[in-house]
Parts: sequence; C-alpha cells; structure tokens
Amino acid sequence: MPYSLDALATLVSGAGLVAGLIILSVTRAWRMALFSMLDFWLAAGLLRLSGAPSWPVIGTAAALIAIRRLSAATLRERE
Amino acid sequence: MEEFLAEDYLLSAVDVLVRIVEAGGAVIIFAGALTAFFKFIVAAIRSRRSDDFVTVRLSLGRFLALGLEFQLAGDILRTAVAPTFSQIGQLAAIAAIRTVLNYFLRREIREEREELEARPMLSDDVKSKGGAASHSAESG
Repeated sequence: MPYSLDALATLVSGAGLVAGLIILSVTRAWRMALFSMLDFWLAAGLLRLSGAPSWPVIGTAAALIAIRRLSAATLRERE
Repeated sequence: MEEFLAEDYLLSAVDVLVRIVEAGGAVIIFAGALTAFFKFIVAAIRSRRSDDFVTVRLSLGRFLALGLEFQLAGDILRTAVAPTFSQIGQLAAIAAIRTVLNYFLRREIREEREELEARPMLSDDVKSKGGAASHSAESG
C-alpha cells in the first residue's frame, strides 16, 4: 500500500475520533457519535483497501467492516 | 498492428486505467470524509440539532457509496490483467468486501432517510437535504 494512502487513512481515522467526541459533547447522543465515528473509520478502511493490498490488509479491513456492521446492527436492535 | 495490440501494451494500458479509477474512488472517499468533518463542526457550532448531524452522516454515506462504485469498477478492470491465481483470489476477496459493504451502506442510507422523513418536527430544509443525498446514492 502506498505510504500516502496510509497517511490519509490515519488522518480520516483521527477526524472520525474528533467528530465523534464533538457530537457526543454537543448532543449527548452517544449512538449518533459512535455511528459517525464508525463511518469515518469505515472510510479509512476503504482508503487502506485502495491500491494493491496484501492479505493482512484485506483481512484487517474485512474484520473492521464486520465489527462495524455488527455493532451498528446490535445498537439498532436495542433502540 | 500486432505490435500495437501486444500483451505488454494491454497490460500497461489497463494498469494505468485501474490506477486512475481507483485513485478517483480514493479521492471521493477522502473528500467525503473531509467535507463531513467540517460539516459536523459547523453543525456543532451553529445549530447543535441532532437532525443536522444525521443529514451530514447521510452525505458521508453517499460519498462512501460513490467511492465504492469507483473502486468496484477498478476491480472489474483488474480482472482483465490478473495473471496468477493468488492475484485473482485477492481480487475476489476485495471485490466481495466492497460489494457487501456497498449493499449494506445503501440499505443504511435508505433506512436513515426514512427515519429522518418520519420525524414530525423536522424542517422541510433538512428533509430535502437528506432525501436528495439518499436518492442520488440509490440511483447510482
């Protein structure tokens, strides 16, 4: 994976963390904050999948996406 | 003519196309994340309403879905020049991840939009923004 893509993905991950904290502090809606943060992390995962990734990178992205989907589905059911 | 259609040229041409299309997808995803981040900050400073945050999330989802479409296009192009079984396997895994993700993303956008439209206190402005975001993502 190109270094620049990795750097962009890290930047997006950081932005997601900051956005989540801002939403949490403004609205106190932790589900909204968590979903937004996961959306950013998903974007970071997709950026890491760009180019010609190796098997470990593919596995990590798949695991991240699965965790994200699972947590979103679980939280939705509890609403 | 035969020289022009040589396999090496084809491989190079497809490789360049794949890089362009995949870069396009990555740029869309990054731009979407960046735009959403600044919109979140603006919404936090100005309105502080959760509906506005939902609208921004819908917009981010639309960008992600569009970026995924580009990356899937790159995957399809890459199938033309995947010579080894290992490369084909990697390609299949990535394409499967992106396809499944695209499906769930679209479903999520649709559900969020329906939820947004069902809220009685919502202003028409927010509704139209959410509806437009989701509609364009679904129509793609």
